[in-house]
Amino acid sequence: MTGENIRSLNYYYTLGPDWQHQIVKSLGAQLIDNKLLIIPEDIASGGSIFLEVAPGLSVHLLDMTFHVPVAITRLPKDHNYYMIYYNIGDEISTHILGDTVHKVGYHSKLGMGFMDCGVKGVIMPPVGERTYSLRLLVDKTYYKSLAATNRTAEVTDLLFDESKNTLFFYSHIDSRSKVLLNELKREHHFSGSSFELKLKHIALYLLNYVVERTARFEPIINKLSQQDIDNILKTSQYMLDHLLSEFPGLPAMAEMAEMSGTKYKVLFKKILKESPNHFFSNEKLLLGQRLLQSGDFYNVKDIAYELGYNNPGYFTKLYKRTFGATPADVLVSKKMRDF
Amino acid sequence: MREVIHQYGVELDWVADIAPKLGGYVEGNYIIVPGEERPGTRFILQINENITVFVINVSYNEDVIYKLRNTRDDFVGVYFNLTEGDAVHVLNNMPRMAGRWACNLAVFDAGLNGEYIVKSGSTTFKLAIFIKKTALKSYFAKDEHYAQVLDSVFDPAQNTIVKYDRMSNQAWWLMNELRHTKATGPLYEAVVTGTVYGLLSDYLDQMINQEIIIEQVIQEDVACIIRSQAYLIDHIAEAFAGISTLAAHAHMSETKYKKLFKKITGFSPNAFFLTNKLSFAKEALETGNFTIGEIAAQFNFTDASHLIEQFRTAYGITPKEYLTLL
Repeated sequence: MTGENIRSLNYYYTLGPDWQHQIVKSLGAQLIDNKLLIIPEDIASGGSIFLEVAPGLSVHLLDMTFHVPVAITRLPKDHNYYMIYYNIGDEISTHILGDTVHKVGYHSKLGMGFMDCGVKGVIMPPVGERTYSLRLLVDKTYYKSLAATNRTAEVTDLLFDESKNTLFFYSHIDSRSKVLLNELKREHHFSGSSFELKLKHIALYLLNYVVERTARFEPIINKLSQQDIDNILKTSQYMLDHLLSEFPGLPAMAEMAEMSGTKYKVLFKKILKESPNHFFSNEKLLLGQRLLQSGDFYNVKDIAYELGYNNPGYFTKLYKRTFGATPADVLVSKKMRDF
Repeated sequence: MREVIHQYGVELDWVADIAPKLGGYVEGNYIIVPGEERPGTRFILQINENITVFVINVSYNEDVIYKLRNTRDDFVGVYFNLTEGDAVHVLNNMPRMAGRWACNLAVFDAGLNGEYIVKSGSTTFKLAIFIKKTALKSYFAKDEHYAQVLDSVFDPAQNTIVKYDRMSNQAWWLMNELRHTKATGPLYEAVVTGTVYGLLSDYLDQMINQEIIIEQVIQEDVACIIRSQAYLIDHIAEAFAGISTLAAHAHMSETKYKKLFKKITGFSPNAFFLTNKLSFAKEALETGNFTIGEIAAQFNFTDASHLIEQFRTAYGITPKEYLTLL
């Protein structure tokens, strides 16, 4: 596949339904009732629904399977909203070749992001796989009024002062939100009054959860450039793609991000909410949890070695400290499943 | 006993009217009642031009009788009610228990008058949702089962909207999420709004799966059916009384009795009785004080295996499995 064959779509959101006309124009999508977008079958199956939930809050739910690669770019705009993004799929997918798990196949990604509409976003949805994602668009003034209940006025003003600070983070979806989103995913179609009411309910509950969650974050005041964001995410994705190796080390990561070690640590923590070191070891343990439940291994020892721990006892100790149960309690062993 | 004669509606003019009758005053979206032992929340929010919600989370330190006398009939009231203590609905002098242990979901046409007595010492957590009939009608219009009968359902000459039901598990969960949210600020408004949308969505699903019965119901008939429901609940530990006896008590023919009972409760009398019997059995089981055999005897099941079979049919798991999931 050469670059010329890849379709590209550039768009931006608006708090109201107007933005959808860009998709109609560029992809030839069909727009129904100003809220349902149906994509032409040669590009993708499925579509999306957009609803205005309350003054200052809109929701866009997308359920599509792309048949051709499309590079989708959300253009940065000087508008007055934040976007909160949830990708509801398997956060870690493992591809199995023959009967052994192929090492290159582990692919981990973070399912949730919070960003300013002034930050650019590029995604390339996987071809032939269902993409199910939800976005909340929240008016900045409204979001500030919600967040203000959990912090002092001084901290709130600093956090929301755009000349000094950029609100931006990437993370896994918290479990309360995940339960709601999985419930939504079980619905078979977007139409019907009860579905629309449910989507509005879920949008408002997700908003409440994200406000509660961000209140627990340590405030790190920094103005981020697009380049800072891209560079930090480049290193976090590198770590996610190399979870079976050892931690690459701060100097190597800072170099990849083209930043000083100090700046790198601060910005990494601002965006990923953890130090690079913690981030890596937690993600490794999360992958460990997946492998334990996968039924592809005979015992805990094999998994510990697969994950690159030299000492299985150390893996057990870390795992227990993080999840409160021993790996042996969680293990679905290969033998058991074969029976 | 404090007597509160009041009305409700989607438009908020009733708020300033009810506040002094409760011995309180309006402050923003709240009605404040000074001197309450545990000051509670009475929160009113108009969600859009079609929906208003009234959240009541209070402990009563005096007996109160509410007399609902609406002057508008353009809306339907949907009441989700988790009250612990003595609270009684009265329609035409026919009392029935409301709240946690009996029917905790009620739907009334604004045209029906009702009375509601709450005893001192009760704790009420209740969501009253007022929704314009035109909006409710448009929700149902999208469902194919309702589309054909829609005009009849919403024509007061042919049909009266009235139902006593039990909350779904999802509704319980939503109510509890709201109960645990601090009742101040814009975040509370967001959670209340989200809860109302969730409850309405869940209720639409519940309604759409029930048989539609179009029948104009007069207040006396509603009262008789409600008395009959109350009779069944009062005798929940005994054997089913039988349709002929129940119809005679309700002063109706058996055909009319069965039809109205199903319209108002969503269940046949027999299914209503069994569902509630199982629900009481489940509550008894949760206390951990009784064996399955003892509960079977207490609620007049043939034997333990009969209870186990009915329990599994209703809840999808056996009583024993249920206990391990608690």
